[in-house]
Amino acid sequence: MINLIGYYTTQFGELWDKSLFDLVEEAINGVLKQTQLSNKQIDAVFFGNMLAGVLGNNLHSTSRISEILKVNIPIFRTEAACASGGAAFNLAKSYLEANSNKNVLVIGAEKMTDYSPEETITGLSAAASGEEQEAGLTFPGLYAMMANFYLEKYHYTEENLAYVSVKNHFHGSLNEKAHFRKKISVEDVLKSAYVAHPLKVLDSSPISDGAAAVILTNNRDLINKQKKSVSVLASEVVTDTISLKERKNLDEILATKNASNIAFEKAKIRRRDISVAEVHDCFSIAEILAMEDLGFWKKGEAGEKIKELSTKFGNGGSLIVNTSGGLKAAGHPVGATGIKQIGEVFLQLTGQAENRQVKNVKYGLAHNVGGSGGTAVVTILAI
Amino acid sequence: MISPIKIWRRQKEIRKILGKKGKILVWTKIFTPGTDFKKYAPYPVVMVELENKEKIYGQLVDYEKEDLKTGREVVSVLRKVREPSIDGVIAYGVKFKPL
Repeated sequence: MINLIGYYTTQFGELWDKSLFDLVEEAINGVLKQTQLSNKQIDAVFFGNMLAGVLGNNLHSTSRISEILKVNIPIFRTEAACASGGAAFNLAKSYLEANSNKNVLVIGAEKMTDYSPEETITGLSAAASGEEQEAGLTFPGLYAMMANFYLEKYHYTEENLAYVSVKNHFHGSLNEKAHFRKKISVEDVLKSAYVAHPLKVLDSSPISDGAAAVILTNNRDLINKQKKSVSVLASEVVTDTISLKERKNLDEILATKNASNIAFEKAKIRRRDISVAEVHDCFSIAEILAMEDLGFWKKGEAGEKIKELSTKFGNGGSLIVNTSGGLKAAGHPVGATGIKQIGEVFLQLTGQAENRQVKNVKYGLAHNVGGSGGTAVVTILAI
Repeated sequence: MISPIKIWRRQKEIRKILGKKGKILVWTKIFTPGTDFKKYAPYPVVMVELENKEKIYGQLVDYEKEDLKTGREVVSVLRKVREPSIDGVIAYGVKFKPL
């Protein structure tokens, strides 16, 4: 049995007074304090980060974390674009499966606002194929292609997509750690400027700074001692082609579909058992596709279903999605996102989600995507 | 980073896909580009299926608004694709124009 026993996240946003490693240090100290563990009780660290090498000329971050934590233990960095955090969590789980009685710290962090938007966009493009980069295709551009394809195939409009952002901004207004706390309307989304047609500013997650950390353990005594603890039922990583053009279907992310199927099989639960999910809404279209590819809604249906807002907190739905505000409103410091998603599910399962607490939550799911779908990580947690 | 060697290596591939006809599978128009493409924004990018079923990306040039749609027939042409690298070598690549 592998359990998650603590979570801490920094504020997400434009944190100009803090460096990447200031954020990492805050997240480490925060999660250690919460679990009342000392640095000496940590046996290994997994660090999810994408851009420190590309933007900050900071590599060998593992050694820097050794310096912060004042330990000499195995520390590993994982990179899988925006799924770097989810991938780090997956490796931490595998580490525990191979080693008994250990405590593992998983951190995700990103520093993105030290640079101009063009520089950060170029850095993020490193996770696209060479041909995509040469054509000037940005990540908004790749998701915009998927959006155009989806809207045309199922006869929806940009308005259908807008409801995702409206819902997630409402959730962000309830999360004090979120980058954006402002509620928005469908009209606000539709009036915002285009980033890559048909996606607009308010269809898109922001460029954010932030760090998040969790502690995983398979130490029985520690699990019994901790008041807040959830079990990790499944964490599955699936990869696919880096180029969007090499995929068979442009209206689905196959890696998500496969990771979800494997995760549910391993967790031995059904889709309808999940009451809270954090899904990867880097763009509004991404949540639409995720809801279908994770198996919650049928293919082609999400464009219509999202308008009912059944997945919005307070509407009495059986599945509430992105209570943190999602990437859209909570912010998207890429390496931190996958850990924040898992952390939000932990808060919900342990009754610590305060003014956005969903009632009677037994199972929760986190879904983290890298690139335009080249990596997907699906994690299922249970109380 | 773009280096003259990478540009040279890519050129050998580009010549094989010039003058090819195909149809637009999907399109977008980029308003917020990366550093090397800032000067060209906004610009449309299309995914094209060539007659041999191979798929290629490229920007659409010499176009009218109504050309930006699924199924439009296009042909691949040689164009400058980004700002010259620090060494001054100009990167040429594939773009498409409507037929």
